[in-house]
Amino acid sequence: MSYKRSRANYEADLTAQQSPYVVFGTPLPPLDPDVRDDGSYVPVWKQEVRDERGRKRFHGAFTGGFSAGYFNTVGSKEGWTPSTFVSSRSNRRKDDANAAQMRAEDFMDEEDLADAEESRRIQTTAAFAGLGSTQDDVSRATNLMGLFRREGDTMGAKLLKKMGWKEGQGIGPKIRRKARLELRQDGTDKTDSFLFAPENVPMIKFNRKIDHKGLGYAGQSGRTPLGLSARSSVANISDEDEDDDGSGGFGRPKFSLSVGRKKEKEKTRGGIGMGILNDTGSDGEDPYEIGPRISYNRVIGGDKKKKKTTTSTNPALKTQPKFIPRKTGLAKVALGVRKCHDGRLPLEGFVWGKGDDPLISAISSEGKYPPPNIPPGWVSSRKPKAQAASKDFVSTADAAKTSTLDPKARAALLGEKQLPGKSVFDFMSAAAREHLVTVTGKTDLPPARGEIPAGFMVSEAERLQEPLSRVPKLDKEAAVAALARGTGAGAPYADNDAKRSRYRAYLEHQAGFRKEFPTKPPDLNNEEWLREFGEFFNCARIFKPMTGFMASRFTTSSGTTSNGGSNGEVGDKELISKPPPKPKDPAEEAAKLGMYGPLTRSVADFYPTRLLCKRLGVKAPALVQPEDDGAAGNSKKPNAPSPFGVFGGGAPMSQGSVGMEFTSAAESPVGGIPAETTSTQGLGVDTSKMTATPVEVIDPTKNEALESTRAGDEVFKAIFGDSDDDDD
Amino acid sequence: MSDFPQRPIAQLLGSNGPVHAVTYSASPGTYILTGSADRSIRLYNPSSTTPNSTSPIPQARLIQTYSAHGYEVLSLSVSASNAHFLSAGGDRSIFLWDVATAQTVRRLGGPQGGHTGRVNAVSFAGVEDSLVVSGGMDCAVRIWDLRSQSHKPLMVLSEAKDAVTSVAVTPDGGEILAGSVDGRVRGYDARMGRVVTDVVGASVTSLCLARDGETVLVGALDSKVRLMDRRDGVCLRGYEDAGWRNEELRVQSVLGGRERWVVAGDEMAGEAEVGRDVSEGRVWAWDLMTGEVVAKVRVPWGGEQRKKVIGKDGKEKERKNVVSCIDWKEGGFGDQFCVGGTSGVVTVFGQ
Repeated sequence: MSYKRSRANYEADLTAQQSPYVVFGTPLPPLDPDVRDDGSYVPVWKQEVRDERGRKRFHGAFTGGFSAGYFNTVGSKEGWTPSTFVSSRSNRRKDDANAAQMRAEDFMDEEDLADAEESRRIQTTAAFAGLGSTQDDVSRATNLMGLFRREGDTMGAKLLKKMGWKEGQGIGPKIRRKARLELRQDGTDKTDSFLFAPENVPMIKFNRKIDHKGLGYAGQSGRTPLGLSARSSVANISDEDEDDDGSGGFGRPKFSLSVGRKKEKEKTRGGIGMGILNDTGSDGEDPYEIGPRISYNRVIGGDKKKKKTTTSTNPALKTQPKFIPRKTGLAKVALGVRKCHDGRLPLEGFVWGKGDDPLISAISSEGKYPPPNIPPGWVSSRKPKAQAASKDFVSTADAAKTSTLDPKARAALLGEKQLPGKSVFDFMSAAAREHLVTVTGKTDLPPARGEIPAGFMVSEAERLQEPLSRVPKLDKEAAVAALARGTGAGAPYADNDAKRSRYRAYLEHQAGFRKEFPTKPPDLNNEEWLREFGEFFNCARIFKPMTGFMASRFTTSSGTTSNGGSNGEVGDKELISKPPPKPKDPAEEAAKLGMYGPLTRSVADFYPTRLLCKRLGVKAPALVQPEDDGAAGNSKKPNAPSPFGVFGGGAPMSQGSVGMEFTSAAESPVGGIPAETTSTQGLGVDTSKMTATPVEVIDPTKNEALESTRAGDEVFKAIFGDSDDDDD
Repeated sequence: MSDFPQRPIAQLLGSNGPVHAVTYSASPGTYILTGSADRSIRLYNPSSTTPNSTSPIPQARLIQTYSAHGYEVLSLSVSASNAHFLSAGGDRSIFLWDVATAQTVRRLGGPQGGHTGRVNAVSFAGVEDSLVVSGGMDCAVRIWDLRSQSHKPLMVLSEAKDAVTSVAVTPDGGEILAGSVDGRVRGYDARMGRVVTDVVGASVTSLCLARDGETVLVGALDSKVRLMDRRDGVCLRGYEDAGWRNEELRVQSVLGGRERWVVAGDEMAGEAEVGRDVSEGRVWAWDLMTGEVVAKVRVPWGGEQRKKVIGKDGKEKERKNVVSCIDWKEGGFGDQFCVGGTSGVVTVFGQ
């Protein structure tokens, strides 16, 4: 028995011969160019995947050949497996009801989404919207509340707007008064009174007077133009009050002093020329002020400050380095820039308290001024009364735990009337009890009785009435029309007599012909019965009178409607409206409802070839398809009704000749061939004549077309003009 | 239940795959032709039987095997003279056979003008069976002239929007019916020069004309067989049952017993079949007039033991005995019928 040694065995033998002394490891292969060196370096691009028999792996000519995948690794242990083709012809993705529908937003990037979001929001600009509001009130914007001011409406304003309030109106019930028409003020008040929203009463704010300014002084915010930003007004004011003492005009220590300084510095850098606009001769001086500036004391009790010597000749003076005495400098560094109200620095060893602000002081005072410690051994002269009662205090919950009374015993103790001896289980259905048993795992639950409380008891008539109220209502005309159509051929449910009678009963009831409601068939349960009524309703709706039908063709707009808010927010609707579903083929719909007949039938023209009619044994219709050498192509275009047909000329010449073959055989009477006729002879009727006369009755002995008098030449001329050479 | 032929009187063995088409020879219907997925057509005589060793049902005599098709045989039609028959199949061509010599007389189809897809249905038509009507997966009905030697069809009717599954020709020859997967039955009336389209809804898989040609039995993939009036397209009656489902496969339905019954195969997918042994197929029979189920006839698997088929997922596939093709002797007027299906064994039922 001869066999071929495997390559592996051969090589193993060869290495064993070449290097017999290798005990550990793998010997190097013999220095023989023919012998393969398995351990030699092979570049990646030369490496090949081979199967366990050493063959190159082939994947089919069209599925990758010898190089499917990454270095032909397809199908190997390391490689991936190509997916097999699965046809979705019968299992369409779009037909899948629970397929994840892609929304338009899924295909949008962030920019598109932002754009879409932008397009949803329609709003007036902030300044316009705030005309009557307190939004731009400087005195509000600058204080602490201004820091936390939120953009847009507050929640209160939103709520008010939902209740019908509009900006600029007052709050409260509407007031009946006369219209105030400023233009005509003709004294005679004969105009009718109307309901108006109440006047907007400006909110009165009581500010704590903690500064030393005169009553009614409100800074200079009254003159700030509308829409001036809070920051700039702060800067203005700080400019104004720069030479005052530390407290600003708003009863608060100035927080933003450095801002003011910086602003001022910028101001001093004027241009080359000194115009009135950048004249910095006096700080905060209103260049447009008319009349002499009245300098009044703004501070009560303080010394009137010496008017600063304004040497406007050297504006750079302030920026020059200046010697500051050490004491003053240290104090300034240590304590900030604050002075006492008399303009001096605090005495040595004293620091300014930080509790000026009532808000801050309220917070910081807690740890700073602790209540005095109670001296040890002090006993109050007053004695608390309920000392003893609290000794053995038991909470209600603990008392309940220790109590052994059940609700009935408690009721007896309290003298309450006994409740009717029912438990929850008496009102439970058996199924619900089963559910409880499985959930809790307790099998000793009382039996379920399924009683219905007296208040919820439904009478037998009501129980019957309940599903009837859910039966869809059909308007009378539609019901009558459906009834009229339901009698003839093609009526719905023609193939199911029971259902058809139920359908008729439903229609009659809806049309008002029958008072009592059709009785429920015994083989249907309530749900099925109702579903069937829905089906009847849909079916009968097709027979709605024409106007209604046309009206139903127009669907309501699916666009979103604004909810009327001034911020123009649109509800949580889709960003992009989806097109309405395609209208379905009415024939398909009718077929689905089982209304076979005229609704599902459509008739089109069919142009059989003459030869086909001959082979089928029937006479050809008026319009036939021309033959081309006995085997027609796919063309279905018929002969246009030839003008010759009108005059009985038969057909174009080729067809005429075909017809002529059979004229001799036309012996049998042809008027309406009986269906049983199978003789070829009898059927090969003069087809040319038949095409000429669409009427069924044909006298084969007489060709009217040929034998009748020829039409006048002028008729031909009128029709064919100068091409009358062709007809003969 | 009455006199519906329920007794299996013969089994036609020999097919090595599912049987897709069965047909009785033309009157008197002595022979049965079967078209099988094993690419061959077999001719049996169901009346001369020999006892079978493996089955209590006797085995009918195999007379002839016709093999020329390159793919499965899907439809058969026997000429009125019983001298020729037509076969069509997956190889996109139609063969005209000489019964006696077992030779193909003509091949209809080819690159020019032939069907470009599987041919699902074929039928003789016309005077002296001079025409062939065929419908296929290429959404067209082709009409061929057997008298001419042309390779091209006489006409191509390509109104169908989806595959044509069944064709029928009215007894008077004037009209050709074609049922299509697009859910429509189209009647091409050569006499009037019009095509009448009736929407059925679900894909039409089977057509069977009554002898007078006035009504047609339409089988569709919505588990319902309908008897339609051809004059105005009205559905005269629907035949259905909760246990009978036909939603996937082409299951033929025919009129039988002198047009008293509607007989249809079963694709064995109804609720009743879940967990049941589906190796036993069923034939359903409804009363034509009342629409009530008259009989449910069991169709044994027959033949030798079933082969185990391993599916793609590595599990053993359940082999249902889907009864897909059925024919009644003498066009519904004989005393027996035969059914074929996935088991590959055709069973003949008689009184």
